[in-house]
Amino acid sequence: MAYSETNPLAENFGFDVGGPIAAYWIALLRVITGWWFFHAGVTKIIEGGLNFTYGVMYMQEMTGTALGPIPVWMGNNLGWLIAPGVPLFETLIGLALIAGAFVRLAAFGGTIFMTLFWIGNAGFGHGVVNSDFMGLLLFVTMIFLGAGRYYGLDGIIEKLGFVKANPKLRYLLG
Amino acid sequence: MTQQFDIVDKVALAVSAALMLLGVVILGLIEVLAGQPYGAAPLTNEAGDVIATPAIDPVVRTGLVILGLVVLLMWGVYRAITVDPPADRTTTEVTAD
Repeated sequence: MAYSETNPLAENFGFDVGGPIAAYWIALLRVITGWWFFHAGVTKIIEGGLNFTYGVMYMQEMTGTALGPIPVWMGNNLGWLIAPGVPLFETLIGLALIAGAFVRLAAFGGTIFMTLFWIGNAGFGHGVVNSDFMGLLLFVTMIFLGAGRYYGLDGIIEKLGFVKANPKLRYLLG
Repeated sequence: MTQQFDIVDKVALAVSAALMLLGVVILGLIEVLAGQPYGAAPLTNEAGDVIATPAIDPVVRTGLVILGLVVLLMWGVYRAITVDPPADRTTTEVTAD
């Protein structure tokens, strides 16, 4: 690691994007974010199975948000998907992030969840930048950094012949 | 090299960042300067009555952020469609657990 005049600490303790500290931290952040969603999903399944009816009610009551009538429409018409989908997808998104497999696809799903939580949950008593918004940014960060490539299965999956033959799959992996 | 951004990439990223920073920082600053409530939630008295509302509707602020994220998503789709990833990448330094 070369000495950097702009960052005198870089020689001893640098956060180089390709360096080991970055890889370590991105992987740790990914697994903890994954546990967050896995825990949320799996506890719903344990307590109520694949029938999270509160999710349908939550969407039906999401009036006056930046997404307009979309969440309410979803609550009124997609209950068959939302009730089993919330616990199932939360669990799968969590598992994907923990394992580091299909992380970008999973993190996109997490971004959708967190957007709905952010604008529907809080009433912004703690401001617009609240914990839900920071959670949303965590998922976007996973997408940007291709976090599954750091100590994750995506690093292996991307070496498979099928992916090499279809390199655009890396936009969903990584 | 696919990491180098062309004008489309630069515009998309700039627009997205501008929308998100407008929603969070600029309008947040205006909200603070406009006086109480300094946050995005209405101010209530002990009886629970609303005595002051935010200067900027949080729907506007969250809407701008969501719009910025949508621009990012569209940019990602654009990159996936138009830019060929390199034939192979070196990922040997970091392996799965």
